[in-house]
Parts: sequence; structure tokens; C-alpha cells
Amino acid sequence: MPFYANDAFTHATGLFLGTLIGFGFGFILERAGFGRARNLVAQFFLNDMRVLKVMFSAIVTALLGLTVLGGFGVVDLAKVTVPETFIGPHIVGGLLLGAGFIISGYCPGTGVVAAASGNLDGLFSLVGVIVGSMIFGFAYDPLEKFYLSGAMGSITLHQFFGIPMSVVTIGVVVMAVGAFIGAEKVEEIVNGKAGTPLPDGSVAIRNKVFAGFGVAGLLGLALLPLAKPTAVAAVRAPGQIEPLELARLLFASPGDLYILDLRKPGGKGTIPGAQALPADDPAAAFVAELPPTRRLVVFGSGSQAPELPPGVARFPGEVLVLKGGYEAFEQSVLTAPAAPENPAPALVAEFRLKNAYYSHFSGAAAAPAPVSAPRPVPAPVRAASKKGGGC
Amino acid sequence: MTREFIETVTTRSNPHIDPSLHIWGWEITVYLFLGGLVAGILILVSLLQLKSGEIPRSRAIRHMPLVGLGLLSLGMGALFLDLEHKAFVWRFYLAIKAGSPMSWGSWILLVIYPAGLLLWGLSMAANERAWILREVPDRLFQPLQKLFEFIEEKRRPILIGNIVSGVALGIYTGLLLGTMSARLQWNTAVLGPLFLASGISTGAAFLLLFRPDEEERATLIRWDLWAIGFEGLFIVLMLLGFATSGEPGQFAAHNLLGGPYTAAFWSLVVVMGLVVPVLMELLEMRRHLPVTLLVPVFILAGGLALRAILLLAGQESNFRLLP
Amino acid sequence: MQENLVIERPYWNPYVAGVVLGLVLLGSFLVMGWGLGSSSVLMRLGIGTAHVLAPAEIEKNAYFGQYVGPGKNVLDDWLVFEVLGVFLGGAVAAYSAGRLKVGVDKGDGITRMKRIGMAVLGGVLMGFAARLARGCTSGQALTGGAVLSLGSWIFMMCVFAGGYMLAPFLRKQWR
Repeated sequence: MPFYANDAFTHATGLFLGTLIGFGFGFILERAGFGRARNLVAQFFLNDMRVLKVMFSAIVTALLGLTVLGGFGVVDLAKVTVPETFIGPHIVGGLLLGAGFIISGYCPGTGVVAAASGNLDGLFSLVGVIVGSMIFGFAYDPLEKFYLSGAMGSITLHQFFGIPMSVVTIGVVVMAVGAFIGAEKVEEIVNGKAGTPLPDGSVAIRNKVFAGFGVAGLLGLALLPLAKPTAVAAVRAPGQIEPLELARLLFASPGDLYILDLRKPGGKGTIPGAQALPADDPAAAFVAELPPTRRLVVFGSGSQAPELPPGVARFPGEVLVLKGGYEAFEQSVLTAPAAPENPAPALVAEFRLKNAYYSHFSGAAAAPAPVSAPRPVPAPVRAASKKGGGC
Repeated sequence: MTREFIETVTTRSNPHIDPSLHIWGWEITVYLFLGGLVAGILILVSLLQLKSGEIPRSRAIRHMPLVGLGLLSLGMGALFLDLEHKAFVWRFYLAIKAGSPMSWGSWILLVIYPAGLLLWGLSMAANERAWILREVPDRLFQPLQKLFEFIEEKRRPILIGNIVSGVALGIYTGLLLGTMSARLQWNTAVLGPLFLASGISTGAAFLLLFRPDEEERATLIRWDLWAIGFEGLFIVLMLLGFATSGEPGQFAAHNLLGGPYTAAFWSLVVVMGLVVPVLMELLEMRRHLPVTLLVPVFILAGGLALRAILLLAGQESNFRLLP
Repeated sequence: MQENLVIERPYWNPYVAGVVLGLVLLGSFLVMGWGLGSSSVLMRLGIGTAHVLAPAEIEKNAYFGQYVGPGKNVLDDWLVFEVLGVFLGGAVAAYSAGRLKVGVDKGDGITRMKRIGMAVLGGVLMGFAARLARGCTSGQALTGGAVLSLGSWIFMMCVFAGGYMLAPFLRKQWR
């Protein structure tokens, strides 16, 4: 697990599972009272801290589940997506979103639930969110620098502090329970002063929930010796990239890549935009300092994967190794492609694409395209239509 | 060269047909949807009167046959937009071919209009008839009054006739696709009954939009539950039929079970259009909850999605896609 | 009126609701490796609409360009279907609890029109903020928080901070 990573179902089936999981989320959010703005903003006026209680109980439950299941080895935590950290945008975005939350009375997710239960204010807050995201897109150019600033990659609290995950988990649980008790005290004081009734809630149920958290937390701690530090290692394992895919990326958005040439000095030719960095060069350490906003493509010579310098291994973003090394790129991109003998549309299209790459990267004039037959030969479409693309 | 060019245009080897059909767009989806909906309206309004033995209590339902014919005309307008040679529509009525669904369709549509009008007359309340008789020009007074007397005498045959022509229309909207077995997704006889059941369900949803009288509402919801039940059954039968047949069927089944149309089909048609409405209708009956328009809206959206998805998937799938 | 006779079912105990929510979140992690999200879906709806109106303009925009273009369907995303599910689940829950009715939820100190205006205004702020922070309370705070993402926790604290800073000025609106 997670199942999606093991190809347990197709992309389209996964989308349908999204509907079912979303149904659960929507149902629970409504029953928690999050379909009404006044239940939500009460959090900020301190008379009913429902938002804090629901949200932190949910985080603690899911976190404990992941810690325990990860400890048993049931879940490969490396395959669970960790959102990337961008310090500045996260601080400013958080403050703005908090302000928007109390002005509109909803956050985007609870706005959907509110709209579903007939609250027009919820529906209109969604309209606002759509407008706001469009404004961001149109104002993207001047914002881009800030948007990408403070990049730290997919980093977790335990990686940041360098301590085991289950210890952080326990810390979060203790903090959450403390926050719950504090919240109830605050509710008592605020409602006592205003003479308003306390929000409902059975102490017995609350204590049972707390006890459950405690047991699961202890279980997570007990599994600590079992926990393998797989997370970091698995993230580091570099992926592979085909020469044609690299050509496509270079063609479409060269600014999204760093390219490193790891061959010994003196090799002939290179990939456009690549920096030469022999594997034993001590200067290679700088790679680890690069912001992980681009993908790092490295290539060596021949089909044997190059040895990654330590700086590359520590690069916080995604690392890709060019399949087949420089020779493969030279062969499929920097060499003029041969026109296909059978002018089937798919082959002609492939030829045209390769030809375009060839002329783009080598500077040579494109070879004339073969005359395509007026009567199309059936294309092998099935392979393409069978798989609905990656997730 | 010239000969090849001509062949490319006139036979199926042209870009509108191969490798996938690009002939039918939103117009046909709307036509099939409204056709089914109107079939459902005529069947349900007739059944309501057969059951109670009197005219419908809700004014909206009494005039629904006329509204239905209006919707059907809208649908045929969409169909007309889709026709390449608009001036030759009348030729459909010269070609009587028992094997052609188009021919059947044009004749069914010809029957539906008078049948629906008679049903409208039959469903009207006495004061509504009196109002019409008062307003029409004098020379129409006599024949109209005769007509009202006549249909009152033939009440039962007209109601049954409407049910029969409604069923025919509903099945025809599915058979229109079902006869084209070259398209793998449509190569099933279940499409006719499936579209009929869906048409009855969307028809009931449409009637429910107008907040009918409580008793009629309860009846409509009960019948809607049956229609949705049958729709689910036909969907299962369709998928079973595909999955247990040869390679073409496997391909069609894959389209909806893991393939590109899976998410849209199961989320929009099955969950939003069938499961959630059933859940909410059962809740409404059990707990006497207040009326909500959300249920009919979900059903109508699901019915539209059913036709759009089958139309798209069908046009994309043909035997040439098979290895 | 019949509608007034319907008795609303009480909300769930917040801790229980939280635990059940957490279990669904955990299930989502186990199945899909990701939790919840909604602001990006709303953005996709916006881009999709804008793309129909002005395809060229949207495709050449540096930010929107990553979502639209040849071979890309802006709605082909897991979260789009999830939010459809959230809507359906919310509707069923509200209906079965006797809470499904058209209205505006507001404090006494504000008119309906002003309340709607505030909802739109706050929505615009949130839409902008969510794009900047790459997620909202669902995607960043809840989902990222549960996998202990550093940025998500910073974001979450800032959301609370932002709300509390503005709360004293908006007391009248909500009372």
C-alpha cells in the first residue's frame, strides 16, 4: 500500500474511488456541523472550538494510523505524497486564507458542503474562490519569484528536526490533547462571561477518544525499533527518463530542468544546456544547494547508470537519469531520423516529431516530410486508448 | 488519385468515420435525452390517470403532455440542426423500411404528437376545458366540443395508446444506437429497455420538479424507484453481456470497467443519477422529510450523462480498434 | 408549514466526527496516497470555463498553461471527482439530518445581500491565498498536516493566526 502505487487499479477507476472517498468526507463534514458558517467562525470568537476539535482529531487519527501501519510495514510511507514546502508563500497564503475564512465564513472545502446543504452564502464563497484563483493566474508573472521562494522540497517535520516519525507523532498527539483541554477551558470562560450555553459534548466520549489516541500512540512508539528509515532512501532513488522525453521537456520548458553531464572530461558533444560535472569533482557539492523547483537530469556514457556524486544524491528535488546515457540521446535526437517506409499516420507523426527535435537541437534544416498517403492506414490506437495516462 | 479521393469521401474511410466516429455531437445527446424524458412524461401521466380513474390533481401535471410535446419539439430541433440536408426531412416519410430505425423513429414521432394532444385534452379539468371553449373562434367551438366528448368516451383506449406510444418512443431512443452493431459500445439489445427505464425515471423527476400534490408525489416516487431499479438491472445486464461475450464485448466492457469512461459513468450515472436519488427518496418516504428539488436535479443530470457517455464511448469504439 | 415540523438531528460529537474523518483520510492515504483537496478543483472549474471562452489566452498564460493544452483535460483529476463526492455526501447528510434547505447562514447584524457580498469577498481572498500556498485547509492543513509536512504545519498555524487577527473587527457581522 498505497494501492494506487502498485497499479492495483486503473487511473479511471481511481477517479471513481475519488467520488466514493469524497462522499465520505462530505457526509462527515456536514455531520460535524461544517455546512454552516456560524459553526465555523465560532472558532475565532472562542465560544465553540468545533473546528479545532474536529480538525486536530482527524489529523491525529490519520497520523497515528500512518505511524502504526508504517511501523508494521503495511504502508510504504515513501509513496504517500508529502506536499512541498515553500516558506514565504505558506506564511503569506496562510494568513490571507485565514482572513478570507473569517470574512466569508467558510474555507473552500466546507463551502462545498454548505452549498450542498442549500446555503447560498456557501455557494457564493465558492464563486469567490474561483475568481480569486483566476486572479492569481493572471497575476502570476510578477508573483512567480515569490511563489517559488523559500523552497525546501517535500520535507516533513521529522526530517526537518532529524528525529524519528513516531516521536513527532507522540508530540503532535500530546499537543492536540493539550489544545483540546485548553479549548474547553476557553469555551467555559467565554461562554460564562457572555452567559451563553456551552457547546454540547459528552465528557465520557471525549475521554474514550483521548484514551484511544493514547493507546495508538504507545503502539506507534513500541514499533519504533521496527521502523526502517525507508522514507528518505526511497525518495532518493532516482527515476529514469527516455531521450525523447528529455528532448520534449528541453523543447517545451528548458527552464524546468537542471542538466548535469557526469561523463569524464573530453567526451565529444553534449546535450544543449548541460553543465559538465565529472563525478569526482569536489565542486559537485553545490548541487545539493540548488532549489528543488526544477528537476535534475543527469547523464553518463552508455547504458550503465552513472555513479551519482554525493551532491546529486542530496539534491532535495526529483532526480532523473537519462536512459542509455549521452549516446542514446545522440542516437535518437541529434541524428537525422530516417523517413518511415510505411507511411502510416502514427509513424509519420513520430518521424515529424523526431525531425523537429533534430532540427531544433542540431540546427540543421528539417528534412522534408514524406508525402502521406491519402488513404490512412489503420493506426495502432489500442495501446494508447487502453491506459488512461498516469495519475 | 481522383478515384482514391472519391472513395475516401464516399465510403467509411473518411475522417468523420474512421478511426472514430465524429458525426454525432451534443445535438443527438439532447435529442435522445428529451425523447426519453417525454416518453416518460406521457407514460406516467397516463398511468396516473389509469390508477386513480380521474384527472390529475396537480395543475402542472394536467398540462404536462403539452409541455412534453414542447420539449420533444426542442429535441427534434436539435436533431434537425444535426441533419446535413435539412430541406429533405420529408423524405423520411417516403421511405418505409421495416429494418430502419430512422424510419421507425420518424413514424413514432408522427404518432406521438396527436396522442400527446389527446392526452392533454383528457387531462384537463372541466373549467380549463370551458375556458378553452370560450376563447376559441366560434367556428371551432362545435368540433372542439365534439372532440372533448369523443375523447371522454374513449378515455381508456387513449391512455393505453399513449402508454404504448411512449414505450415505443423510449425504446426507440435506445435502439437508434443499439442497431449499429459496428460500434462496440452499442452492440447490445439492452440499450432500448435501458433508455426506456431511464426515460421513465427522468420523466418522473421532471414531474417532481413542479411540486405535485402529495399523493401523486408519493406515487411518482414509488414508480421512480421501480424505474431506477430496472435501470440498474439493465446496466448490470449490459455490462454482463459485454463481459461474457467475445473480444468486441470485452473492449466495450473495459471502457466502463477500468477504461477511459469508468469514472464518468460510475460517478455521474450510477452514483449521482441512481444511488444517491434512491437513498434520498427512501429517506424521504421513511422519515417524511420535506420535499427537495435536489433529487430530481440529480436524476436529470444522471440521465443526460448516461446518454452523453454512451454516445461518446460508442462513437470511439469500433472493430478496427481490436488487435 | 410542514418544513418547520422537521426536527434537525444534532451534530456529531466533534471528537467522534474528527476520528471518523481521520479514518476516511487514512483510508484515502492507503488507497490513493493522498487525502483531500478542494481549492484546486474550483480553480480547474474556473480555468475550464475560461478556456472555453478564450482558449489561446489561457493556454499561453504561464500558470494556467500547465493545466490546459493539447492532450490535457483540465477536469481529468482525482480531486475533481472527490469534490463531486463531497457535494453528494454533503447533500445526503444534510437531507437526512433535516438541514437541507435553501437559505443564507448569517449573524443578526448583517443583511442577506451584505452577507453574500462578504462571502464572495472572502472567497476571492481564499482563492488567491490557496493558489499561493498550493492548497487550502483541506489540501494543505488537513492532508499535509497528517503526513507531517513542514510547510503544511506552518500554513495551518498562519490560517489560525490570520483568522484571530481579523476576528475582533468582524464581531458585529457574526453576532
